[in-house]
Amino acid sequence: MGKRRILLVDDEKSFTNLLKLNLEETGNYEVRVENWAEDALKAAREFRPDLVLLDIVMPRLPGGNVAALIKGDAELTGTPIVFLTAAVRKHQVEENDGVICDFPCIAKPASLETVIEAIEKHARK
Amino acid sequence: METTPIKILLVEDNPADSRLLRETLREPGTAHFALTHVERLVVALQRLAAERFDVVLADLSLPDSQGLDTFRRLQAGAPDVPIVVLSGLDDEVFAVSAVREGAQDYLVKGRVDAYVLTRAISYAIERQRVELALQEREEHYKRLLESITDYYYTVHLENGRPARSLHGPGCVAVTGYSPEDYQADHELWFRMVPETDRQAVLDQAVKVLGGENPSPLEHRIVHKNGQVRWVRNTVVPCRDEHGRMIAYDGLIADVTERKQAEQKLVKSEAFYHSLVENLPQNIFRKDMDERFTFANQRFCTLLGRPLDEIIGKTDFDFYPAELAVKFQRDDREVIRTGQIFEAVEENVSPSGEKIYVHVVKVPIYDPNGQKLGTQCIFWDITEHKRSQERLQTANAELARSEAALRRSHAELKSAQLQLIQAEKLESIGTLAAGVAHEVKNPLAILQMGVNYLSRKLVPDDENMVMVLKEMREAITRADSITRGLLDFSASRQLAITAESINTIIDDTLRLVRHALGESRINLTKDCGANLPPVGVDKNQIQQVFVNIFMNAIQAMPQGGSLTVRTRSRTLTETTHFEGSRKADHLWVGDAVVVAEVEDTGSGISEEYLSKIYDPFFTTKPTGVGTGLGLSVTRKIIELHGGTIDIKNVPGGGVRVTITLKAQKEQT
Repeated sequence: MGKRRILLVDDEKSFTNLLKLNLEETGNYEVRVENWAEDALKAAREFRPDLVLLDIVMPRLPGGNVAALIKGDAELTGTPIVFLTAAVRKHQVEENDGVICDFPCIAKPASLETVIEAIEKHARK
Repeated sequence: METTPIKILLVEDNPADSRLLRETLREPGTAHFALTHVERLVVALQRLAAERFDVVLADLSLPDSQGLDTFRRLQAGAPDVPIVVLSGLDDEVFAVSAVREGAQDYLVKGRVDAYVLTRAISYAIERQRVELALQEREEHYKRLLESITDYYYTVHLENGRPARSLHGPGCVAVTGYSPEDYQADHELWFRMVPETDRQAVLDQAVKVLGGENPSPLEHRIVHKNGQVRWVRNTVVPCRDEHGRMIAYDGLIADVTERKQAEQKLVKSEAFYHSLVENLPQNIFRKDMDERFTFANQRFCTLLGRPLDEIIGKTDFDFYPAELAVKFQRDDREVIRTGQIFEAVEENVSPSGEKIYVHVVKVPIYDPNGQKLGTQCIFWDITEHKRSQERLQTANAELARSEAALRRSHAELKSAQLQLIQAEKLESIGTLAAGVAHEVKNPLAILQMGVNYLSRKLVPDDENMVMVLKEMREAITRADSITRGLLDFSASRQLAITAESINTIIDDTLRLVRHALGESRINLTKDCGANLPPVGVDKNQIQQVFVNIFMNAIQAMPQGGSLTVRTRSRTLTETTHFEGSRKADHLWVGDAVVVAEVEDTGSGISEEYLSKIYDPFFTTKPTGVGTGLGLSVTRKIIELHGGTIDIKNVPGGGVRVTITLKAQKEQT
């Protein structure tokens, strides 16, 4: 079974580096990082991820808009998106079974286990 | 017959003369004499001053005095004692002069025999006695005459007309003119009457001439010295045996003093009358039996009765019984104590209107100091009183407005403080949300870092295990702080549902059961049955109770008791949060559900009581509390329109009281 392709869109470079490292360390994931929200759609087109981990609060282009762009793209529209953000809180996520505004959510800071669990749950099989 | 001898002082320096006289006086047949003989005037005067003599026989030629001078000095020394002068033939002229000046007699020496001497002495004594008596009577009559202020006169008529008048001697004292003056001047009696009074005098004269008995007339006359005097002139007709008018008699009495006193009295009377009648006060007097004896016109007008319908009446005739009783009681008190009574009291005007009067009552006395009754002065002060009352009302209103102003001011000030506090909390909230968000990202990085390192962990290295564990815990702690901050700043949207406060408490207690057990804390529940539901966001209120229970548990590390009570009641007082911006406060009369949570811990020290709601204020050890629990708790309660009150319980421990508005029953 091939590695899952994860597109990580977050303007926080240290975070993306470490999460990428952690995920790839498991040997189950191939992670592409995009720190520029404007380039997220382009990266998705190129990378064709099985799942997009998307930050919400980003300069110039919020995560919500990025999600709309991806969903609006004919080729990418089926790509699962999980928000990974400090803008929601854990209990909100928990209380809504991990879904906020029709999108799965992970509240920062999240443990690696939580992230992997969400990926495994939502990634395109 | 003679019991006491006649005492004679003989003043004679010639021994022969004196011896001869002594011999003469001893002759039988003469009266019994006691003779004292001196030779000098000085000695004679001394004796006269020392004792009483019946007669002095004195030679005028003495060694220390000569001639008439001797007599004069003797007379001055004893004015009441008769003096008989002894003279020689050569100085008889002196003796005659002495007799002219008051000596009783003189005897020529050598021509005196016993008979002549005795007779001279007796006569001298007798004459002196008679003279003194006369003198005394004359003085008596003089005094009497001088004191008479009346005189009579008679007017004789001829052919029915006054022909002549006879005035009695008293007329001098009254008019200054003598009877002779009147006789000489027939019109004097009329001229002495001042013109203004003449008509009355003439009228009286005409009446008496007509045979009438006119009433006495008082008129003025001008005294000879120019003074005006008042006389009372009484005339009566005088008839002969045939009943014909032949004269009339008049009696003039000087009544000037009485008249003056009367005029003074009239003046004084007019003065006081004017005062009493013109004063703006009501004045009346009552006797000892409470009957009116006087009332001034004003009081008569007030009662609406003439004076004669007031005199003799009592208060009961004019006033309602209860007032009359009161007035009379006051009068009697004034009479009993002799003290002035002064008061402001209610009265009733004749029209039945209630009025206020100022009253002054005093006791009155007759000239002997006997009590006569009371005098009362009173005046209407209704208008004054009303103005005063209006003023007082205005004052009270002013005071009320002022109090209201002060209250508004205090409320404004408090509202301002609340606004400032609210703004402060709002700013803190916004800031906290920003901070929380910004902190979360680095925390996420740290988390990832720790995750990575944990996977790469060499299991043998205990230190590394320990370090990573500490780091993980630090991340968790920091995360919980950010969560608190966000709870504090957010929670704008409440999911309100009708909930049972007892159920929420039970659910929450299950969440903290573990902590309760660990600290060996006894739980006592006293939850009211059939409480009305409260409209709350269940999760939020659960968070509130978690915070409160955890605070209580953490306050009792050595164990203790946690008591939870719930009940419903109707508010009788209100409190609201400092900093609350919510409009839907609780009001008096609101039905509320109250939950009390009480611990037996150490309580909150006084200095911290005012800070417990401040964000980040905590007394707990680092890592145990975030300092956000109570700020969030209060924020939630506030959002629900409820109140939270935290107080120390006497004897230790803290009681938290949460009051939430009961949901109205759906109908």
